[in-house]
Amino acid sequence: MDPLLEHQLLLNRRQFFGNAGLRVGGVALAGLLARDASAKAGGNVHPGLPEFPHLPQKAKRLIYLHMNGAPSQLDLWDYKPQLKQHFDKDLPDSIRNGQRITTMTAGQARFPVAPSLFQFAQHGQCGRWVSELLPYTSQVVDELAVLKSVSTTAINHDPACTFVMTGSEIPGKPSIGSWISYGLGSLNDDLPSFVVLTPRSAGGQALFTRMWSSGFLPSKHTGVALRSAGDPVLFIQNPPGVTNSDRRVMLDALAKLNAAQHQDLADPEILTRTAQYEMAFRMQSSVPELVDLSHESKATLDLYGKDATDPGTFAHSALLARRLIERGVRAVQILHRGWDQHNNLPKDIARQCEQTDQACAALILDLKMRGLLEDTLVVWGGEFGRTVYSQGTLSQTNYGRDHHPRCFTMWMAGAGVKPGISYGETDDFSYNVTQDPVHLSELNATILHLMGVDHKRFTFKFQGLDQRLTGVEERRVIHEILA
Amino acid sequence: MKVFAPFRALAALTLLALASASFAAPAAEAPIDFNREIRPILSDNCFSCHGFDAKKRKADLRLDTPEGAYAVKDGVAAIQPGDPKASALLQRALSKDPDEVMPPPDSHKKLTPAQIETLRRWIAQGAPYRKHWSFEPPVKAAVPAFPNLSPIDAFLRAELSRHGLHPASEARKESLLRRVTLDLTGLPPTPAEVDAFVADTSPEAYGRVVDRLLESVRFGEHMARYWLDAARYADTHGLHLDNERSMWPYRDWVVRAFNQNLPFDQFTLWQLAGDLLPNPTQDQRIASGFNRCNVTTSEGGSISNELLFRYAVDRTETTFGVWMGLTAGCAVCHDHKFDPITTKDFYSVYSFFYSAADPAMDGNTALTPPVLQLSTPEQEAQLKSMDQAIAAQKKLLSEGLSKLVYNDPATLTPPPPVEKGEAVWFEDAFPENAKVEYSGAPTTWITAEQGPVHSGQRALRRKAEGLAQDFFTHGAALEVPANGQISVWCHLDPSDLPKAVMLQFHVGNWNHRAVWGDEKSIPLGSTGKPDKVVLGPLPAAGKWVELKFPADRVGLKPGMKVDGFAFTQYDGTVVWDSLVMRHQFDPAKDPGWSWAAWIKKKQGSLVKELPGALQTLLRNKKAEQWTEAETKKLKDWWLENEYAGAGESVLLPKAEKIRLEAQRAALADSIPKTLVMADLPQPRQAYVMQRGQYDKPGEEVSRRTPEVFPPLPAKENYNRVDLAQWLLSPENPLTSRVIVNRFWQQFFGTGLVKSVNDFGAQGDSPSHPELLDWLAVTFREQGWDIKQLVRSMVTSAAYRQSAAVTPEPLAKDPENRLLARGPRFRLDAEVIRDSALFISGLLSPKVGGVGVRPYQPDNIWEPVGFSGSNTARYTRGTKEALYRRSLYTFWKRTAPPPAMTTFDAPSRESSCLRRERSNTPLQALVLLNDIQHVEAARHFAQRILREGGRSDAERITFAWRCAVGRTPAAPEAATVLEALEKHRSRFQTTPADASQLITFGESKPAADIPAPELAAWTLTANLLLNLDEALNP
Repeated sequence: MDPLLEHQLLLNRRQFFGNAGLRVGGVALAGLLARDASAKAGGNVHPGLPEFPHLPQKAKRLIYLHMNGAPSQLDLWDYKPQLKQHFDKDLPDSIRNGQRITTMTAGQARFPVAPSLFQFAQHGQCGRWVSELLPYTSQVVDELAVLKSVSTTAINHDPACTFVMTGSEIPGKPSIGSWISYGLGSLNDDLPSFVVLTPRSAGGQALFTRMWSSGFLPSKHTGVALRSAGDPVLFIQNPPGVTNSDRRVMLDALAKLNAAQHQDLADPEILTRTAQYEMAFRMQSSVPELVDLSHESKATLDLYGKDATDPGTFAHSALLARRLIERGVRAVQILHRGWDQHNNLPKDIARQCEQTDQACAALILDLKMRGLLEDTLVVWGGEFGRTVYSQGTLSQTNYGRDHHPRCFTMWMAGAGVKPGISYGETDDFSYNVTQDPVHLSELNATILHLMGVDHKRFTFKFQGLDQRLTGVEERRVIHEILA
Repeated sequence: MKVFAPFRALAALTLLALASASFAAPAAEAPIDFNREIRPILSDNCFSCHGFDAKKRKADLRLDTPEGAYAVKDGVAAIQPGDPKASALLQRALSKDPDEVMPPPDSHKKLTPAQIETLRRWIAQGAPYRKHWSFEPPVKAAVPAFPNLSPIDAFLRAELSRHGLHPASEARKESLLRRVTLDLTGLPPTPAEVDAFVADTSPEAYGRVVDRLLESVRFGEHMARYWLDAARYADTHGLHLDNERSMWPYRDWVVRAFNQNLPFDQFTLWQLAGDLLPNPTQDQRIASGFNRCNVTTSEGGSISNELLFRYAVDRTETTFGVWMGLTAGCAVCHDHKFDPITTKDFYSVYSFFYSAADPAMDGNTALTPPVLQLSTPEQEAQLKSMDQAIAAQKKLLSEGLSKLVYNDPATLTPPPPVEKGEAVWFEDAFPENAKVEYSGAPTTWITAEQGPVHSGQRALRRKAEGLAQDFFTHGAALEVPANGQISVWCHLDPSDLPKAVMLQFHVGNWNHRAVWGDEKSIPLGSTGKPDKVVLGPLPAAGKWVELKFPADRVGLKPGMKVDGFAFTQYDGTVVWDSLVMRHQFDPAKDPGWSWAAWIKKKQGSLVKELPGALQTLLRNKKAEQWTEAETKKLKDWWLENEYAGAGESVLLPKAEKIRLEAQRAALADSIPKTLVMADLPQPRQAYVMQRGQYDKPGEEVSRRTPEVFPPLPAKENYNRVDLAQWLLSPENPLTSRVIVNRFWQQFFGTGLVKSVNDFGAQGDSPSHPELLDWLAVTFREQGWDIKQLVRSMVTSAAYRQSAAVTPEPLAKDPENRLLARGPRFRLDAEVIRDSALFISGLLSPKVGGVGVRPYQPDNIWEPVGFSGSNTARYTRGTKEALYRRSLYTFWKRTAPPPAMTTFDAPSRESSCLRRERSNTPLQALVLLNDIQHVEAARHFAQRILREGGRSDAERITFAWRCAVGRTPAAPEAATVLEALEKHRSRFQTTPADASQLITFGESKPAADIPAPELAAWTLTANLLLNLDEALNP
């Protein structure tokens, strides 16, 4: 912003706050001034709730990498070498145990076991088994806590995606980013506190705005989806022919006129509105600055790979995630589509990994180099897992896998997470959890815990209930994975 | 585990402390109101373990009934009426011992000293229980005696006086008119309306305004918008593909119902059970679509029982919420913890909806059955006469078939000769007598001097932007031969390529299309069927290319009469020449002539045209094994449908029948249809679903209403009519309260019960219980007259007050629940957009119709859309579609219009009874930069310059009055003028910027206004439309 204009604006603000003081009731004014003062101190246009954080806060920020469609745990993380012997044999009934399967494979005459076609090798100090599909992520396994025993309740994408992001299968609940924004507030004045990125991929399942909606929470906590084509934030650009100084003229007049209205009516919402117009004006500068990568070093760009500067790619989104975090955005969610491999899994999952693997690893390394990994939590995973048996025809070189909610793999890294560990075990068919189960709601409880929030106390009254991200069931924090 | 057990040895010290600390209150005091003061404390802190839900109850103690609370166990009672000291409840509440204190620390709940004191006084007064207030029927209390006050105002005034507050003075006339006009129509008043109201000094002036507004067609549109939130209305199915659904006739009916002032009882009955009424009218059936507005899916792999369960749960919850203000959702899984709704109660109501006839999978179609065709009487007659004509052709056809003598040419010796022939359909001219038409520029013929000509003297050339075509219909009838092959020549200009070219034929309708190139640019027909067949990529450019295909591919059958064809293109420059129909066949080997050849070719394959049984026969059973009867059936079908040599007596009526059927289908397609409710002929048995799991049916349930309420009248079989009538019965304590409360919320910003969606124990108590009950009973007694109810609210003195905030009421009543000042709250999303369009003069007055697609930024639908969805891509409408009221905007649930959701419009995935009112920077960006607001500002600027007088001062006054309904104060006008002058000098020095600004938007700027002047006023108009006062009346 032009420094002269900024000064003038400050004067304007003081003027009308000063005048307002003569008329507004003491309490309201005190609140306003307090808000204004803390805003100047940095990062409190949207403060958090009182008493937050409840607990020591390990993670100040969250980056959630959602692999939409459900990546196959069997081909990436959950190494089952003995499956080779079961190729094309029927899944034992003792394993399936009569559990429901989707109607896409329920009619199949057989459930032939499809061992992964991909080679696994041990990596890092921790000796983690990782698939050859993840050559880059396997280099950072010492930073990751790999959870192999995650489960969810839904078996189809729509309800499962809604669950993984909101803790409920029923549409209308706030997403995890909205909860965090609501509870902990914003860390900056120039960008929204919860930002969503939806990089493109080859087709895939639909995403729903409900996956980043604030549900019943105040709508300012809805994730702002940065767009990969056109303006990154909706309506961020002035109309053609209009410059920022035209806007300044207009906004100064608007502030003056609104102040007069406030003198008349003394409604504090009027001042909030003016403040939001000013925030919008600042975003018009901060958002273009955010997406301008010209000051990123070549080394950094190389780290993220060849797509790093191509808007709409996963690599570009990952880099933006780091830039958002750096600028004080509280929660960033990247939703990458195309992981639903019902058939042609070997070919398609390789493509998905190519698009994401390098950038996931780069994000961890980049955050670490900048000291941001200390107080940033990174979470990776899909909405459920995939079946060990093949959907459709199984051959030596090809197979597909159906939805499998009973176990799948996710990983976490960063603030407060024990690095280089693996948690939970599954049976020989990666079908059932045999040790240390982690329900998605427990994962959410753990995320909140790391962010200094007691999930049991984090409630919002709606429809007569104290609603929680973690639902009404008893859910525990997975303390075993905490550093 | 800490439980509220009869207490063990409580330390004497504690007892002493209790006695000295809080039991020393005076004896004479105001009686405690159980529902207002005690129930919320118990509900919030105790009921989750000691309430209605038997499964979660701890220590076998319940505090939600007097019997439970007074019960003596081991010599101790939780509550000993009249004796706080002997009441364990109080002692445990005051305990400092973490193992004793209630609520227990791990519940994260804590009673305040004030709450404990209230409990103590209540016990001392005898601990009287009352049923939760909203479960007792409303009783009309005596209106407090205030002369000259309406009943509403009298109740409000009594409460104000109790708090030592006074009402504010009446709002300025301009403000009042603006408030009531926006509240009743969703649009602001015009300056002329303001002038008329200000000039009318009679006492009836305001009443007359209200009457005028209630009669405006805008009233119904505006009221409908609130109801559609409750009904979760949208134009897509909402899950997975989120494809389009045809529901808009229901939306239009809601508008109509409000405008016709359909009494609320009928409004309810029709929506919940219109389909079950005796001889239901068209409107009654459309209204039943309320229960078809829920989200549905067709996601592969879904389990039908789960979906049927979910749909019925949604309908049950929505009904409970919309009419009874109850959050029944909890009871899906367990007995409600706070309200006396058991899971059995829930599933008993659910069973009213569980037999709905709609399928589990919506089929991703716009018309998931059951649907209602909304034909006019004329269309009805047309359809009937077409049916008769079709029947006549069928008769001729069967006569022809009965006379047919067939000898298989394959059996003849010598075999019949090979036949061939050709007919030129287009060369240098359309067929003789054809009526030639075009869309785009007029039809142009070129000769060889002017451009490429393939044969003859001339060819047809067209340069197009978007879709354009040359075609004819009527005046010629070209017969389709057996084995017809179509050939046409096409020449594309390499420097101006089209996106696609298409040849299209008319037989009854235009659903015979052959496309080359990007089929997505042709928004007609459904790909894959004969009505849109993609035959290849765009032909090579710069040379003549012959495009050939079998007539059969586009559904042209032998004997059909083609009475129109069209050369179509999207963009580009294309030359067409020489369309020829050729045919050639060898009767002995051709499956259209030889029955034996057909069997040989089709045996074992799937012939979709065959009826089901014959399809299976042909596919699964060898011809040698067919019985005589089976062979005859199949052969008869072949002779009727496939045999090309049947002669005129068969081929002509057959072709005519197909043509008529196509015509009928085209007419039927053009008639709107809407999803309606119906029940299966045999009801499905409903069960309590254990823990809310669709695959865990427990106890059987039958249709009844929750036991806590008065029962349904005794009768054999209940259906949704009974449920609706029960909701409306005088004994139902909730419906009328819930409805008047939502209207109150609409006009005063907050309901008398703030939690409009929760009238249960966890909800808020009414701020004015007597007023709520008085309104509820009056509404019912006066015949559920909505307009009368609305009138009584907006003509109250409370509504007419000034909204200015003054210190004393602000301190005592920050939320303005007592209404010591007038209501003031931010306008809803739709009203903000519609007002901007209205003030600018752009708003279209058109009422109703299929959803429109106004301006929307790119990449709203695309990034979330499933690639196979028919709403994956957003194609913006043009002209009027851009300027319709927001009510008519096409609503895609998984990606609703951002200009609406930014202002807190719900996604419509589930019922919404109260919107948030947020205040965010993203809202500022919409109003400053969204093309539709900038274009509206420019049109507003044009109006100001044309209608607002000559001087800047006059114009600013006019503009201000249009935007906020009043005349600006001098300093306000001066501030606007200062901004205007700055903009003006800026744009005068950079007129190119001005031109850019004023050409933003589809409409063209006024040519007679210099660009810098229009641009300066555009930004000034934008300023006025962004005033806080413009958004918060």
